[in-house]
Amino acid sequence: MLMKKVVVKNAAGLHARPSSMLVQLASKFESEFHIHMYGYRINAKSILGVMTLAAECGAELELELDGPDEKKAMKAIVDLFESGFSEMSKEKYR
Amino acid sequence: MPFGKHTPVPKRDKISVEYLVRQIQKSVNIEIEACASAASCDNRFVTEQELHRPGLALTGYVEHFTYQRIQILGNTECDFLMEMPPEKQREAFSNLVNHNVPVIFLTNGNSIGEPLMKMADEAGIPIFRSPIETTRFMFLLRDFLDDQFALQTVVHASMVDVYGIGILIAGKSGIGKSEVALDLVERGHRLVADDVVIITKKNNILIAAATEMSKHFMEIRGLGIVDVMSMFGIRSVRYQKRVEVVVDLYLWDQEEHVNRTGLDHEKVSILDVNVPIIHLPITPGKNITVIAEVIAMNHLLSHYGYDAAKAFQEKLRKRIDDKSGSNKGIRRAIDYFEGDFE
Repeated sequence: MLMKKVVVKNAAGLHARPSSMLVQLASKFESEFHIHMYGYRINAKSILGVMTLAAECGAELELELDGPDEKKAMKAIVDLFESGFSEMSKEKYR
Repeated sequence: MPFGKHTPVPKRDKISVEYLVRQIQKSVNIEIEACASAASCDNRFVTEQELHRPGLALTGYVEHFTYQRIQILGNTECDFLMEMPPEKQREAFSNLVNHNVPVIFLTNGNSIGEPLMKMADEAGIPIFRSPIETTRFMFLLRDFLDDQFALQTVVHASMVDVYGIGILIAGKSGIGKSEVALDLVERGHRLVADDVVIITKKNNILIAAATEMSKHFMEIRGLGIVDVMSMFGIRSVRYQKRVEVVVDLYLWDQEEHVNRTGLDHEKVSILDVNVPIIHLPITPGKNITVIAEVIAMNHLLSHYGYDAAKAFQEKLRKRIDDKSGSNKGIRRAIDYFEGDFE
C-alpha cells in the first residue's frame, strides 16, 4: 500500500471535470484507490465520492493506493495533480 | 469483507452550547428559555454525551464532580437549594459555578431565584429552563447527544429501502450497484444514498444516510449524473434508514463456495455491529433487483418468525425419519385435485 500527500493546484478546485479526469485515470488501474480528507476515507474510483469532498484550490489530500500496479498508478495520479488537471493555476488565473 | 477496511471518521470532539440549544429547540422540539448568561453560549463547549445531576456537589462534596458534563437541576436539586437560607444557598451554588460547567438546565419548570442566576451570570455559565419533566428531558437530550458524538464511517456502496428493509448494496467499482439501486427505485422502492454512504452507530444500530453533497444524486456509467428525486419524485427517496442486510455483489467464480440452502447466516461487522450479509454472485441473465426484493421479503419473514430454510429442513428430517407405508418414494404435491380439466 502506498500513501502520498498532494495539493490541489488548479484555481477552480476539484470540480466536475477534474474529478471525472481523476476517476477515469484511476479506473484504468487495477489498484484500489482511496482519498483521505477531513478524516474521511473516500473511494476515489467513484465520481460522486470525489465530488463529495469539494476540494478547493490549496486543499491537501492524501492518496492511498493498494494493488499490483500501485506504483504506476501513484505516479500517473500524482502527475495529474501536479499538472493542475491541465487547467490554470491561481497565479496564471489572475 | 465487502468494503475493505472501514476506518471510523474521527469523532466530533465538542459542540458549542449555542448549537446545542438551537438544535434541541428546532430539531428535538424542546421548549427552553434562557435564564442566565445567554451571551456566553458561543464559547462554551460540551465535550461529553453524559449528563450529570449535581446533587452531591451542591452539598459540598466535589471530590469526583464531573463538572465537564451538562448539569441538570431537577425537582430534588432545586428544592434542596430553595429550602436553605440565602447565605447557605450561595455557598452551595458556588460549588457549581466555581467549576468550569458548560451549561446548566433547570427542568420541570423549576427556578432557583435571582441571586443564584446572578452568580451564574458572573461566572459566565449559561442557564436554561425547560417545562419538560426531568427524566424525559434527560432522555431526549441524551438521545440528541448520542447522535452528535456517534461513531461514523463512510462506505462505498448503495443504500436502498426495500419494503421497509434497509439493504446496503456493496461490491467492487463498476459491478453495477447503482444500476441495481436505480432499478429498485423504478419499482417503487426508496433510495437513501448512492456511492457515498455515511453510517452512524447509535444505540448499537447502524443508520445509513447520504452526504449533504451527494444526496439523491446517482452516477450511472455511460450516462453521467442523474437526480433521482426530481426524476422519480419525493416518494422515491428518504433521508436515512437502518442498515438491516448487506448484499455483497461479486463476479461469479466456479471455485467459490456459494450458499445453497440459506441455513448458514453469515454476519459482517461494521463499527462492531453485526449485520447479516448475503454474498450474491452475478451471472448473465440474473435479475439482481428481483433477488434484492426477495432478500427483503425473506428478511421480513424471518423477522416475523418464519425461516424458509429451517422449515424445509424440518420437513426433510421428518420425512427421513418416517418412511413407512405410502411415505416411500417421491409423491406429487397433491394426490388428486378433482374437476381440474380445462
